[in-house]
Amino acid sequence: MSQKRKRMTRREFLRDAALATGTVALAGMIPTQARAGQASEPKLGARLIGKLEGPELVLDPAKWPKKFNEAPVLAELVKAGKLPPVEKRIPEEPMVVKPVHSIGKYGGTWRRGFTGPGDGENGNRIVSTDKILFWDYTGNKVMPCLAWDWKVSDDGRVIAILLRKGHKWSDGQPFTADDFIFWYEDVYLNKDLQPTPNPDFMVNGKPGTLRKRDDYTVVFEFPDPNYLFVDILAGSTAMGGGQATQQHFNRTMGAYMPGHYLKQFHSKYVSREEVDRKAKAAGFDGWVSYIKNRWDWRLNPELPVLGPWKTVSPINTPNWALERNPYYYGVDTQGNQLPYIDRISMTLAENLEVLNLRAIAGQYDLQERHTGLTKLPVFLENRGKGNYDVRLDPALNGSDATLQTNQAYEADPEIAKWLQTRDFRRALSLGIERDQLNETFWLGVGTPGSVAPAESLPYSPGPEWRKKWSTHNPKQANELLDKVGLSKKDGEGYRLRTDGKGRLRLELLTAAGAFIPHTQIAEMIKEQWKKIGIQGDVKEVERSLFFTKIKGNEHQISIWLNDGSEVLYLFPRHALPVDPVEAMLGHPIADWYASGGAKGKEPKDAQLKKALELFRTAAGKKTQERYKIAQEIWKIMVDEQFSIGTVGQSPAAMGVRIVSKKLGNIPSRQVNAQHARTPNSSHPATFYYKA
Amino acid sequence: MLAYLIRRLILAVLTMWAVSVLSFVIIQLPPGDYITTYIAQMSASGSFVSAQEAEALRQQYGLDKPLYVQYLRWMALILQGNFGMALEYSRPVAEVIGDRLWLTMVVSVAAIVFTWLVALPIGIYSAVRQYSLGDYIATFVGFIGLAVPSFMLALILMYLGFTLFNANIGGLFSEELAEAPWNLAKLWDLVKHLPLPALILGLAGTAQLIRIMRANLLDELGKPYVVTARARGLPETRVIVKYPVRVALNPFASTIGYLLPYVVSGSIIVSLVLSLPTVGPLLLKALIAQDMFLAGTIVLLLGVMTVIGTFLSDLLLLWIDPRIRFEGKQ
Repeated sequence: MSQKRKRMTRREFLRDAALATGTVALAGMIPTQARAGQASEPKLGARLIGKLEGPELVLDPAKWPKKFNEAPVLAELVKAGKLPPVEKRIPEEPMVVKPVHSIGKYGGTWRRGFTGPGDGENGNRIVSTDKILFWDYTGNKVMPCLAWDWKVSDDGRVIAILLRKGHKWSDGQPFTADDFIFWYEDVYLNKDLQPTPNPDFMVNGKPGTLRKRDDYTVVFEFPDPNYLFVDILAGSTAMGGGQATQQHFNRTMGAYMPGHYLKQFHSKYVSREEVDRKAKAAGFDGWVSYIKNRWDWRLNPELPVLGPWKTVSPINTPNWALERNPYYYGVDTQGNQLPYIDRISMTLAENLEVLNLRAIAGQYDLQERHTGLTKLPVFLENRGKGNYDVRLDPALNGSDATLQTNQAYEADPEIAKWLQTRDFRRALSLGIERDQLNETFWLGVGTPGSVAPAESLPYSPGPEWRKKWSTHNPKQANELLDKVGLSKKDGEGYRLRTDGKGRLRLELLTAAGAFIPHTQIAEMIKEQWKKIGIQGDVKEVERSLFFTKIKGNEHQISIWLNDGSEVLYLFPRHALPVDPVEAMLGHPIADWYASGGAKGKEPKDAQLKKALELFRTAAGKKTQERYKIAQEIWKIMVDEQFSIGTVGQSPAAMGVRIVSKKLGNIPSRQVNAQHARTPNSSHPATFYYKA
Repeated sequence: MLAYLIRRLILAVLTMWAVSVLSFVIIQLPPGDYITTYIAQMSASGSFVSAQEAEALRQQYGLDKPLYVQYLRWMALILQGNFGMALEYSRPVAEVIGDRLWLTMVVSVAAIVFTWLVALPIGIYSAVRQYSLGDYIATFVGFIGLAVPSFMLALILMYLGFTLFNANIGGLFSEELAEAPWNLAKLWDLVKHLPLPALILGLAGTAQLIRIMRANLLDELGKPYVVTARARGLPETRVIVKYPVRVALNPFASTIGYLLPYVVSGSIIVSLVLSLPTVGPLLLKALIAQDMFLAGTIVLLLGVMTVIGTFLSDLLLLWIDPRIRFEGKQ
């Protein structure tokens, strides 16, 4: 790109970006709101957001390849007698993947950046084909993964999954139902390792069970209908998240574990003294900490895994490196064992600026994590020099900066009363000029509107709910505020409290160091609210203090993403107050919901209570009914404006993809969502180096 | 003399104990604990933790126990020579710090050597040729060096390095050598990467040192013993270097106390900006993550270094300066 021009104005940049690329097709979700005077300028998003595409699984056994090939490095090992031939390493029912563009070539090292041992998801998401079930590239349809098929009984109480015959761990040992039994009996039911049962393995608060029908069939049973469990197994959940994600950082879930390897660290199979001695020798305080360290794939290169790559240099070093798993169960349509790429090398960046600079310098081959949307102009400017392309993957959630009103707030009764008044919330929403926010903070590529998820999802209540109470209408907002009894104003035009204690001030709580500049967004909203006479007070705190304050029920309105809410049942936390870990609409309400009314506080608002009741019934319903219930819930949430949406469906989080021009089989757009384990729905095992 | 040493030693041990209590308490002061931070981090990175998992983790790390119990546990570990487990790294604290410690020392020592090599001659020159053109230039450059924050300088140099020379960005090693075992090529790679951080880290200190050296020397130059030396016909270089410079160096001996902790963990911000694998960023991240074992150990280490450094400079002054020596004897 132009070396001479060091600085561009935004307008120049938009025009330049629009002219620079030519071929990318228009996606369905491009924002169409152009501000007056800019209508004729082509939008940036239109040029960088491609067509949603991705690899597909071949499910018909008749179309599966009969002969298999392998990577040259593995062929050498076979020749030397150090590895069995490829036919013996692939299951009888392999996962056959049709790559998105073409059959690839073997070899190469995929260079990425990571930010330290807290950045486990960086690698977890790449090896997420270690999940029991998964989604297709649209993120809407459940697909086989480790299990090649699944059966749900008519009453929804019994879910059986069928494993692949001859499937092997990365050390060559068989992967069977016994690995599920080991996890269930020796980890999940062991009180030292798992003190409390996990809600993902329960229905209506009653625990499920797991048993082995034969070597290749595992059966989950529940006392009540649990049709949702298939989605749970496919989602990024405690039961279905897979080995890498659910067993990293001391986690204990994931439904299966390599029993043959882990038994040597378990007090049931080796004497307690012996395992404790081993743990102490390695610097751990006891066998529990040690076995949890041993089953963490990021830390233990010896751990047998099922994903396409395994760790060779652990995450707590400056270079987290992965190498191909010679027993990976996926092949392409011509029978080439996946993955194509030999090695993944992630280098430590002590801060995000360095990571982004390295991306600009072309030091990463594919990076969608930690690359910021606000840096897009610089990414585009250096495309030629760094030999990379930029792709934007909009997310599916409705709002990247959601104003969550605390429905259980108590500290200030006057404020609490207004937060619980529907017309007051609607007025706040109508006072926000979302187009201005979009242009300023999302470079115009987001979609302004309510909190409802993208229209492409079955959970969406319909396009009319995007705009409902979510447009800029200060006149209507002022009328609503006058009507509810806030008509008195002070000399500067701000509305006064009704208890005579001066100006009505609303606190907007934001977290420092969030991926989206929530504080700056809040400042702009504060300016916009001047027109409706509402005084906002932006209060920025450190990130963990932010969550602590919310948990302490101290906030009036907090601002955070509603990511994950697009798959309402798998991750309701950002949509409804149901999870005691995080509930921005009011922690006491979540405690009340989770404890079945024993703890916490019942919501005062009848509509909110209705939404929670609808949510509670959903697990026992079949898929189509569940979608209908979700739509009902979203209609309530948008109509009531408990959560005020601003701009969403944007690539701001994990959606700015820097792709080396050397790489092949890269979808021009991929689904950007937590349940789809972005970029895993694009099957990174099919990425390859063209030359 | 012996009584003096023993008194200093006892004071040093007490100071270290106080440092350990303070560092532990300060790290615990912000609301929440390591698990809260972990949950927040997971939320921000598109993953999540359930309430059950959070509770299990708190029990495993003993975070559900009262603060003094946690402190006593930590102390018990330290007395056994075990600094505990770095929570985020799942590795013993000693290993995590050890990895970075000597690289940190290499960078810091390089910076200090650079500072001294540049600052002392310029300081002497500025003093001897006071108000000359050279003095003005050195003073000007010195004040700029003092005024420009070093992280800013780091950003600018990194940007220039990238745009003009297409140089590697940040770090102490080239990507392909970062994990390679030690050999000549890797050593050479380190030497090639060293000048930039050494320059940036050294520059601020250089300005300061030039000013101190200049001021000290100016005080000395007018004194009668210098005039006498000149009058006796000693060569000018010998007059200056042999006597006034030696006296002017005196304040440096007393600042060695602060040099030691600097060697271990100076330059947190610059290391962060330049992405250097040193102890500084480690400390910052441990503090943000509320990993009290890791942060506590580093803070304790810094405290110990300061105490030892001060002790050393006391001894050094005792040796250099007869006035202190005689005072001690009285």
